[in-house]
Parts: sequence; C-alpha cells; structure tokens
Amino acid sequence: MIPRLDARTVAVGQELPPLVKGPITREDLKAYAAASGDPNPMHIDDEFARNAGHPGVFAHGMLSMGYLGQFLVEAAGVDGIRRWKTRFAKLTWPGDVITCRGRVTAVRDEGGSRLVDCDIWTENQQGERKLVGSAVLALPRA
Amino acid sequence: MPSKDMIGRVLSTGSATVTAEHVADFARALGDPNPLYVDAAAAGRGPFGTVVAPPTYPIAFMTQAMAGGMDTFLELGLNFMTLVHGEQEFEYTRPIQAGETLTLTGRIADIYEKTGSSGTLDFVVLETEARDAAGEPVFFSRNTLISRRT
Repeated sequence: MIPRLDARTVAVGQELPPLVKGPITREDLKAYAAASGDPNPMHIDDEFARNAGHPGVFAHGMLSMGYLGQFLVEAAGVDGIRRWKTRFAKLTWPGDVITCRGRVTAVRDEGGSRLVDCDIWTENQQGERKLVGSAVLALPRA
Repeated sequence: MPSKDMIGRVLSTGSATVTAEHVADFARALGDPNPLYVDAAAAGRGPFGTVVAPPTYPIAFMTQAMAGGMDTFLELGLNFMTLVHGEQEFEYTRPIQAGETLTLTGRIADIYEKTGSSGTLDFVVLETEARDAAGEPVFFSRNTLISRRT
C-alpha cells in the first residue's frame, strides 16, 4: 500500500483522506472481543449492559481506535506512526457509521524524517465526535 | 479507592512470541485488509520480510502475554461496574513483527482523583513497555482507566 501523505507537499491545515467504517454490528463487537481477548460483557451481552444502566451493548473504545489506526497507516504507512493518543469522549453504538478524520496542525523536520502533527477523531453519521486525539506521523524525506 | 502508595508498582510482566495468525485474526476483527497484516506471502515480499502488526495490536498482545497482575489490580480497589477506558496512548520505535519475542513490563504510573458534579472519579494510569530479544524498546502503551465512586 502506498501512503497517501506526501512528505514534499504536506501542509498545515491539510485534511487526511477520511476512512468510513461500519455500520457497526453486534457481530463486529463479538469478533473484536474474541480477537483482542477482552472479556468485558458490556460489549457483547445486552442484558448485562442494560443492568449497568445503558440501552444495550456499546462498542469497545479500542475497536474505534483500531479504525483510527487503519486510517493513520493508510495516510503514513505501517512504519509512519511515531506516537498517538485518543480520549474516549463518547460511546459508539451498534448501527453507528464511523468516519475517521484528521487535520495537519504542524510540520517539522527531524533527522531524515518529516514529522507531521495531526488532530484526529472519529465521528458518527450525525457528526458527533466519539474519539478525539492527536498523532505524530513520520514521513521519510524525499 | 486506589492508594497513591501504589504508584510505581510493577503491575504485571510477561513475554510471548508474536504469531502471524494472532495478528491476522486481530486485523480481520478490525476489518483492516492491509496485506502486510493478513497475507504472509505478500508480507514476506514487503518492506519487513514478514507480517507486521496493526498499531493497536499491542492491546491484544498485552492481554495474551501478561500475567500475574490481577491481585495488584484488585488491590487498586476500582469500581468495576463503572470502570471505563478513558484514554489510550501508544509510542513505537518500529512495527511489531511476526516471529519475534517481546518482553513486557507494566507499571502503575499514576493515580489521581477528580471531583465534579457527578461525584468523584478515580484515575489510574498504567504504562507498559515492550522490549525485543536484544533489549531494545519496541512500543510503549499508556492506558488511563477511570472509575466513578458509588
């Protein structure tokens, strides 16, 4: 896969190519629970989630962060993320269509790399932001 | 409530070998089609000569590789019914590669509380460092857990 950000042209204010995932299904949550080894019934057992005061199961925060990881790798390559963080601001529900978005906030050079700071987030079909964070991407200088 | 005396305590340690199957299962659960994660033949011809892992794979690897932390974790006294993952941060020196053995050390990095209109929230920050067979750092994870006192 060819990274879509170009070290020669990347600029502050530029948007990263968005990535759309979902709609999220209960099957997606079961599959993520199994693959990640997360035993929390909050994401797979509707009755458990209702007893905890929720309308039903909700998505693992790390499932959405995984979508953001795909989004960043498609932008910068598998070795293009230096560090990143997200805050799990709002819950993501079955049925949500999640769009991963990001915007470049700074560009600087360090050694052989062009470092690209980005604000990143996920939003649902109503534009409600769910995960909010930042990333430092490292692109090889051409 | 968590005691600040536990800051700095090693929570758990472990060591495991990254397998291409575990990485591919994790990538498929994310619906991520990157051939470097799921196609061993394509990854073998790729820049690393082997399957590499997606950026959030450390979460699954930590679950698989680390043991011995449950007693300490219970000692934190968090309210499990209200426990949520508040923040997550990763740093990498390079991609994780299938076939390599990583050694993990997890520590309690910080404990603090915030009181607001909905009551008191306890924050516990867990930091995990992964090193390869040569002792070089590979990734770092910082996980902030939040639980509301009831």
